[in-house]
Amino acid sequence: MSNVITAKNLTLSYEEDGEVIKNATLTIKKGDFVFITGPSGSGKSTLLKSFYGNLQPKGGSLVIGGLDMIDIKKSKLQELRTHLGIVFQDYKLVNEWTVEKNVVLPLWISGYSEEVQSTQARRLLHHVKLSGKENKYPLELSGGEQQRVGVARALAKNPFLILADEPTGNLDEFSSNVIWDLMENACQQLDTTVVVVTHKIPMVFNIPYRHFTIDEKGSVYEVH
Amino acid sequence: MKFIKRHISLIFPLVAILLGLEFFIVFDRTTDSYEKSLSSNYSIMVVANDEMSIDDFKELDNHILGVKELPKPKALDIIYNTKNKNLDIAIPNFYEIKLDNLLGIKALAKVKDNLLESKSIKRIETFRSTYKSQYELFTFIKFSFGTFIFFMSVIGFFLIVKQMEVWNFMHAQRMKVMEIFGASLFLRSKVLISMAVVDAIISSILTSSMFVSLQNMWISDTQMEILKEHVSDVFLFSDFFILLFASIVVVLIAVFLVVINVKAE
Repeated sequence: MSNVITAKNLTLSYEEDGEVIKNATLTIKKGDFVFITGPSGSGKSTLLKSFYGNLQPKGGSLVIGGLDMIDIKKSKLQELRTHLGIVFQDYKLVNEWTVEKNVVLPLWISGYSEEVQSTQARRLLHHVKLSGKENKYPLELSGGEQQRVGVARALAKNPFLILADEPTGNLDEFSSNVIWDLMENACQQLDTTVVVVTHKIPMVFNIPYRHFTIDEKGSVYEVH
Repeated sequence: MKFIKRHISLIFPLVAILLGLEFFIVFDRTTDSYEKSLSSNYSIMVVANDEMSIDDFKELDNHILGVKELPKPKALDIIYNTKNKNLDIAIPNFYEIKLDNLLGIKALAKVKDNLLESKSIKRIETFRSTYKSQYELFTFIKFSFGTFIFFMSVIGFFLIVKQMEVWNFMHAQRMKVMEIFGASLFLRSKVLISMAVVDAIISSILTSSMFVSLQNMWISDTQMEILKEHVSDVFLFSDFFILLFASIVVVLIAVFLVVINVKAE
């Protein structure tokens, strides 16, 4: 199986906080389901940010989908991002757009026809149990529903890699279960690699997974 | 209402800038014509012992545009025509000299000095005091108007900067999300660009309409001869395209600055 993420001695830092991740070495293969856990402030979200190119590594190497993330060109990064599905704890939906427009954002960016966008939106909203809410606006939905829209958006273009930052952090059990089911299915049926940053691994999880943890010093270990 | 509110906040400063620009264009065009008429109505009187050609004068000063020899006074002509050899009268030649443009007071004095360098020239009359009052009034009006236009443009500029802050607040979230999902700079700014271009077109039409009304209604009733004489110069059809081009350039720069300052989280 090919590597989707390869990090060697990866060091990540912020100007104001100094080094957050130190010498992290990890390899994530196609079809892996990975949990990254660790205490608050340990650098879980920082590591995830570097995976979608929002933080330049300070040292070491990082290769995502075959692309070297050190000194990656802007156009290449844009291209890479169109093949990623990203889920945020605070949803990051566009409030002035309808649910449908939010879901099809990755397809719209890639220039898919309106017909394809519309069909895909209906299919995904059915999967996330939000059929009939296509024309609602995010602020008219509950937190759980908004996050399901966020997950539907992440799955819209069948990405090769899903990166999720605390996707169920603030959600009720129903919404959390819907989201875990969707991610498990994407991983099992589409062979999508899923990397989830979370405080707590769900009690019931139906597929094999790998587990990395980050300690308070910013070191990354595989524990499972 | 929301639509009007959203657009008026950009249209207002844009119209202020475009009014400044159009006032500048109109003022420049009108004063240029006025300056030419002042210049063409002004002449220097030169009294010379010998006959002089235009080339002789041009050699003395390059601001000299034309020379007209004035008829000698009739009485002197009669004496001259008697050909009485006993009358050893040297009748001078009188010349009216036109200058190439409306010169400043110092430049005019310099022209006089240059002409006096010729041994043939006896006397020069520049009508300095009349010229000075006309010239100073003209430069004062020009300066006052220029200052007004400058401040109008500065106010317009600051209102645009304020509008950029509003845009940043309103559109940053959408642009950040789009950037995370790989949208290009053009896609991210498409909404802002189309909105800003519409506002630029509306602003250009509004400003042009103001000047067309000014041209057709107010100027025909005014007592200001300078404007009445050049009423057709107040607004030309081509001005609309200048305004449109300028407003589009301003909004595109503003949009671009907003978009590049939005960073994905």
